[in-house]
Amino acid sequence: MASILKVDALQGVTAAGSILVTGEGNSTTTNLQQGLAKAWHSFNGTGTVATRGSFNVSSLTDTATGQYATVFTNSMSDGNFSHSGFSEHDGGTHALFATSNKDNNPTSTTKAGIDSFRGSDNTGIDSSQMTHIIVGDLA
Amino acid sequence: MASELRVNTLKDAAGNNSIATSFVAGGSAKAFVNFNGNGTVAIKSNLNTSSITDNGTGDYTANLTSAMSNALYTGLASARDASTGTNIVAADGNTTRTVGASAFHVWAAYSGASNKTLYDALFVDVVIHGDLA
Repeated sequence: MASILKVDALQGVTAAGSILVTGEGNSTTTNLQQGLAKAWHSFNGTGTVATRGSFNVSSLTDTATGQYATVFTNSMSDGNFSHSGFSEHDGGTHALFATSNKDNNPTSTTKAGIDSFRGSDNTGIDSSQMTHIIVGDLA
Repeated sequence: MASELRVNTLKDAAGNNSIATSFVAGGSAKAFVNFNGNGTVAIKSNLNTSSITDNGTGDYTANLTSAMSNALYTGLASARDASTGTNIVAADGNTTRTVGASAFHVWAAYSGASNKTLYDALFVDVVIHGDLA
């Protein structure tokens, strides 16, 4: 029988921050909270940078050419979260994407530093199509 | 006391923001790992990742605790060397190391036309979406 659960918040019983969800194969379970993306960010990194769509993102920082930081609304538990994404430059030169932990653009509990650079010569380049996804533990 | 809830749809208390539980399971990352790939490789944070195998310079295998249903899942990876600021591109699989249901392979290499050699990255991030076994 189909069923609908209407709630505003879900918590685990044993630990509030841990709910197991049965996977697609109907045997293995996975941790719901840990598997959820904690932030995602689509933005235009050229000119006056602008967020197109986001989740748990309070702002976007333009730190240098091809260098940005996604600033979180709710902080992560530490700076060791995993983040990945891609960029593309629409001016005829394709750019690549790298997560960043450089000294001048560090990742921390409150933000994730990201770089866009040209694959042909490794030069930082502003990208009009930036995507970024963050997984890990919230504070 | 542990409990089990079986429902098909989740909504907020106002009856909005409906999502099928199949999307909750299907849309959740099944694994992620952040590891240091330089020197003695070390996991910093992870979900469903039992270990990292160092296969050689810039060549890693992320071993999953619980296997995926097959090798047709999606994996994203990025890498960087913080000490020099060198940009590194990470990718999965090639003809010699294929992606498996319980192992995801990552290569870290310099970008740039003149230097694409493999490199041990200080920061490697991986996230995997797909179906668990």
